[in-house]
Parts: sequence; structure tokens; C-alpha cells
Amino acid sequence: MKWRLLVLQIATPILAIVFGVVIASIIVLAIGRNPLDVFGVLLRFGLLRADSLLSILFKATPLIFAGLAVALSFRAALWNIGVEGQYYIGAFCAAYVGFGIKGLPVAVHLPLAVLAAGLGGMLWALVPILLKLRRGAHEVITTIMMNYIAAAVILYLIADVFRDPSQIGTPRVRTPEFPGSARVPSMGPLLGLLGLTGPDANKVNWLLIFGLVLCVLFTVLLSRTRFGYEVRAVAFNPQAAEAAGIPNARIQFLMFMLSGGVAGLAGLSDVLGFFGYLDIDFPKGLGFLGISIALLAKNNPLGVVLAALLFGFLDRGALGVQFFARVPKEVIVILQALIILAIVVAYELVTRYIRMQRKREAERPATAPAAAAEAGH
Amino acid sequence: MEYVTSLLSLALIASAIRVTMPILLAALGAVYSERGGVINIGLEGIMIMGTFFGAVGDYVFARQYPALVAAIPDLAPAAGVLAAMLAGMAFALIHALVTITFRVDQIISGVALNLLAVGLARFLNILFFGVATQSPGVSGFTPVDIPILEGIPVLGPIATGISPMILVALLLVLIGHWTLLRTRFGLRLRGVGEHPRAADTLGINVYGMRYAGVLISGALAGMAGAYLAIEQAHLYFEGMTQGRGFIALAAMIFGNWWPLGALGASALFGYFDALSLRVVVLPVPSQFINVLPHIVSILVLAGFVRRAQPPAADGVPYTKEEE
Repeated sequence: MKWRLLVLQIATPILAIVFGVVIASIIVLAIGRNPLDVFGVLLRFGLLRADSLLSILFKATPLIFAGLAVALSFRAALWNIGVEGQYYIGAFCAAYVGFGIKGLPVAVHLPLAVLAAGLGGMLWALVPILLKLRRGAHEVITTIMMNYIAAAVILYLIADVFRDPSQIGTPRVRTPEFPGSARVPSMGPLLGLLGLTGPDANKVNWLLIFGLVLCVLFTVLLSRTRFGYEVRAVAFNPQAAEAAGIPNARIQFLMFMLSGGVAGLAGLSDVLGFFGYLDIDFPKGLGFLGISIALLAKNNPLGVVLAALLFGFLDRGALGVQFFARVPKEVIVILQALIILAIVVAYELVTRYIRMQRKREAERPATAPAAAAEAGH
Repeated sequence: MEYVTSLLSLALIASAIRVTMPILLAALGAVYSERGGVINIGLEGIMIMGTFFGAVGDYVFARQYPALVAAIPDLAPAAGVLAAMLAGMAFALIHALVTITFRVDQIISGVALNLLAVGLARFLNILFFGVATQSPGVSGFTPVDIPILEGIPVLGPIATGISPMILVALLLVLIGHWTLLRTRFGLRLRGVGEHPRAADTLGINVYGMRYAGVLISGALAGMAGAYLAIEQAHLYFEGMTQGRGFIALAAMIFGNWWPLGALGASALFGYFDALSLRVVVLPVPSQFINVLPHIVSILVLAGFVRRAQPPAADGVPYTKEEE
């Protein structure tokens, strides 16, 4: 019985992905293309090329931070839909430290920039959580609104206040470049030792490792510490937790701040690791992808890594689909959304099934202990 | 001082009325959905579908039946509105299926729908028009004058040359208010949103009523999108909804879950929206004027303006069997 449930839980995300693939296949068929071609290209291009594997690592890096940030809030029964805005602000704070300070050694400058990004994300998360805990404003809509406000703030800061003076007169709207001391080093040299070279190897930077470490740390924090226990208690039954002396508001506030802080780091791989300046067209939408990733990972930090890699793969494969199969790459965006819908339905059904099984076991008459014991194993 | 007078100009008010409509229609949709007990964060996505299918319906109809459209030009935009409402209902049906039948968390489903809408609109736009982000221009409805008000000279900008969809939207608000307050359907819908178990005991089909509420919200949000594409911009382009679906949710809350309340709240948001569209000289950078409606939304939700009372079972999935 336990085995069956475990298999079921592992099979759930896979089944959801299969469902998404089937619906996406129907869409591909509807436009008169062969889904086998499309998914063949997706797999071949996305997985069997060294440059694709490196590209997946680069694309997954910001997604790990975004997914982890959303998962942390979900863990505390909070909806941080504002990761998008939080990482805009975080990216700007890091950029400001990057171009605003000169002459620091890398050992000071880079951590300072990363810290600034985290604080920027926290600052942007502070408004919705305070309004929720103090005034009862539901954080879903306030965080969404904060996203739009963040976009406006960033636009104003980059275009009107901190625009690189040497770029005025050109179409490039961006901050001045950062000195090398504020750049995240590439993992290219290390990957070169493994025989992986080329532009894609140089794009992969050490924030990937930082993201993995954060995921491990949060796994430990949430599953092995007293704080993690309190978070679970608050999410599972707020009234019972409060009665047991666990302050709901404090736990939720701390988790939301951690979520905002991690969210602030999501833009760094691009800004500090790749571009070296903050452009008005810096990559957007990571916050919303983070929601998908957290849902797919069932809010498990280690699952976030896997889900981020899957989304990195889909993103990379989409290029191949567009180029070689001549199907618009948006079909992959549709596939991502379908997987999410399928996964939440599947998780819900499995949870319900398990609850039903447990109940049935509990109701089994005491006169048949042998059968019950057997079912229990 | 100059900008203070321009803040109250009739032209600005006329513009405010125009930009209120998409927010109002979506907020009205949200009222139906949440009165039945289903939160619809997917409103933004449904609205995106509405903008796209509004433009497509209009464009395709004008292409297919040029003779008919030459005789009655309003047929093309009408086809667009119809297409948008159907697309909105189809999208809302996914939300209903996932949240009512499968009882998945309503916020998750809505968020996923919004993601789906963005990808789907880009994909379909490539199929229909060859590019990802924009449709060709489409024709709007013939503007109408309001019979009695048009005679008053001062009211010229407000009473003449307005979209017939504005009149329809206002009518829908009155009908909606009366429906929820007085009709059997409205009372049942509210019963299902307040106390589904009691409604079920009385023989009301809880799932059916909730489906109805969500589908109506889809039709209205689709119509809101069609208004944006057909009447306001005369084309579809990516990102044109600008979070109005979310603002509509704030308007509905501020309107205390009633259609007439939603009208007042939407007008407030519309006014701030119009400020960002008109070139009113204000001592604030334009980027911040653009997000005024969003800032107001936050203040409204935080209850700095007024406290509101949601339906008791809003957002709670209902299950017939005992668990």
C-alpha cells in the first residue's frame, strides 16, 4: 500500500507532463504539422547537443531563484505573485551598487551587490505583507499591482535618472556598465576542464551553484529545524498553531520576507552574470515562470531545481522547434501552461485518492486484523 | 493651477467614461463569479482572449462578407464582440472545470489561465496574422448620440459620438443589479456563494449555479477585451489589457460585490486611467501616472477607502460528499 502511494506520487508529475504533451500535440495537429516531428526536434535539439545542455543550465539559473521564492511563500500559505516586481527592484538595486561604487575588491563589491538585490526584493515584498497582516488586504492582488508599479519605477530609474550618459542619442536605454568587481564570474573555465567550451559555457555562472546551495539550505531549514516545523504548523492549521503558541503573523512575515529576498536575486544571473548593465529590455516574466515551477515542484526546494531544469529545457527546445520544425515557439509556452493546469488537477485527485484510501483503511472492521495489517504494508 | 482645471475638463471626463468600460465589464463579470463563490483571477487572461478574438472576429467577418458589411458596417464589430464573448466563455469553462469539478485551488487555476492566455494569444496571432504581437486594424461600431443629452451644449463631449457598447455596458450593470437582487437566478447564485451546503439542502444545484456564474464572468470579461480592441485601439496588440483584469477585481471588491458598486469603483479607476492617457500636464513623471490605477487598487484593497464584505463561501471549493 505504501509503495503504491509512493509510485503514485512520483507518477503524478510525469502523467501531467504527458497530458500537456497530448493537448499540445492536438494543437500541433490542428495546424497541420506532425507532433512526432515537433517533439522529436524538441528532444534532439534540447538534449542531445552540448551547447543546448549549457544553455539549459544558464536558463535554469534565474528560474531556480524565482521558483524557490514562490515556493517559500506557498509553504507559508501565502501567495507571492509579486516575484516579478521584486526581482525588477532587486536587479536595479544590484545594478546601482554595481555602477555606483568603484574601486572595491570583488570580494566586497560582488557580495554587496547580491545583498542589495535581496534587500530590494524584500523592500518590495514588505508592502503587500504588511498590508495583509495589518489591514487584511489579500496579497494576490496587491502583489500583482506591485508588479506594475515596479515596472514603472524601473522604467523611470533607467530611462530618466540613471541612463548611461554615453548612450544618449542611441536607441540603447540602460545603466552604465559595472566594473569587473561587481560581475559574477563565469563557470566557463571550470566547464572547459570538462571539455565543454564555447559561448554557452561562458554564459553559465556561479549563481547556478549559489542557487543550488540556497535550495539545499532551505530544504534543511524547512524540514529539519524548529522554524520549519512552525511554518508547517501555520500552513496546515493556523488556529491550532496559534493555540499552540506559534505566532502566525510572525512566521508568515518572515517567510514572505525570505521569499522576497530570494526573489530579488532572480534577475542577477542576467544582470551581474551576463550583461554587466541593466537594460530597459532585461529579461522579464521570470516571476510568473517561478509560479509554474513552484507548483510543478509542489513547493519542494529540491523539486524546484528539477522543475527549473525542465523549464530551461523547454525554453531551449522551443528555439529548435521554431527553427527546425517551423512551428511557432509559443506552442511551448502553451505546453508549459497546460502542464501546470494538468499538474494541479492531478495532485488534487491523487491527494483525494490517498485520503479516501486512508479512510477506507481506518474504517476496516477490527475483526479482520490480518487483512488490515497486510494492507498497511 | 493650470493642471487643476484640466483635471476636471469635460474632455477628460468623456475619456474617463470610455476607459471605464473595459474595467466595468470585467468587474461585473467578477461579481457574478464571486457571488457564486468562485474567485476568478483568470479574468486578465480571459480579457486577453477577448481582445484577440474581438479583433479576429471583426477582421475575419469583414473579410468574408464584404457586401454585407458594406450594407451594415456594424455587423463586423458585432461579430467581433460575439467571438470575444464565446472565447471568454470557453476560457472560463476551463476555470470552472478545474475549480468546481476538480476543486483545485481557484487562485492557482486563475494564474495558470493567465499564463495560458499569453502564450495562446501569441501563438494564434502568428497563425492568423503572421506576426506574434499585433493584428491588422479593425473597424469599430458607428458612434451614437444620446437623444436628450445631446441638445445640452455643455455636455457635447459626453453625450455625442459615443460607442453603443458604453450604453450596453451600463444597461448590463442595471440588469445585473436587478438580477442579483430580485430574480430567482440571482438569489440562488448568492445563496450558493454564501452558504453552499444550505443551498444544496434546499435542492439548488450548487455546481450548476457556480458554472453559470463563472461562464457569465467569462462572457463579460471577453466583451471587456473586445471593447478594448474594437472600440478603443481598433486593433489587437500584445499586452493591451495592462492588468485591467486585476484592476477589475479590485473594483469589484471596492464595489462591495454589487454591480452598481462596481460601476462607481470602475469609474474611479477609469478616471485615473484617463489621466494617464490624456496629456494632462502634471508635476509627476509619466511612468507614475500610468500606474495610478494600480496604486489606487492597493489602497482600496488595504481598506484605506472602505471596508468590504465578501460572500461567505467565496473561494471555498464545494464538495457534495462528506469528507
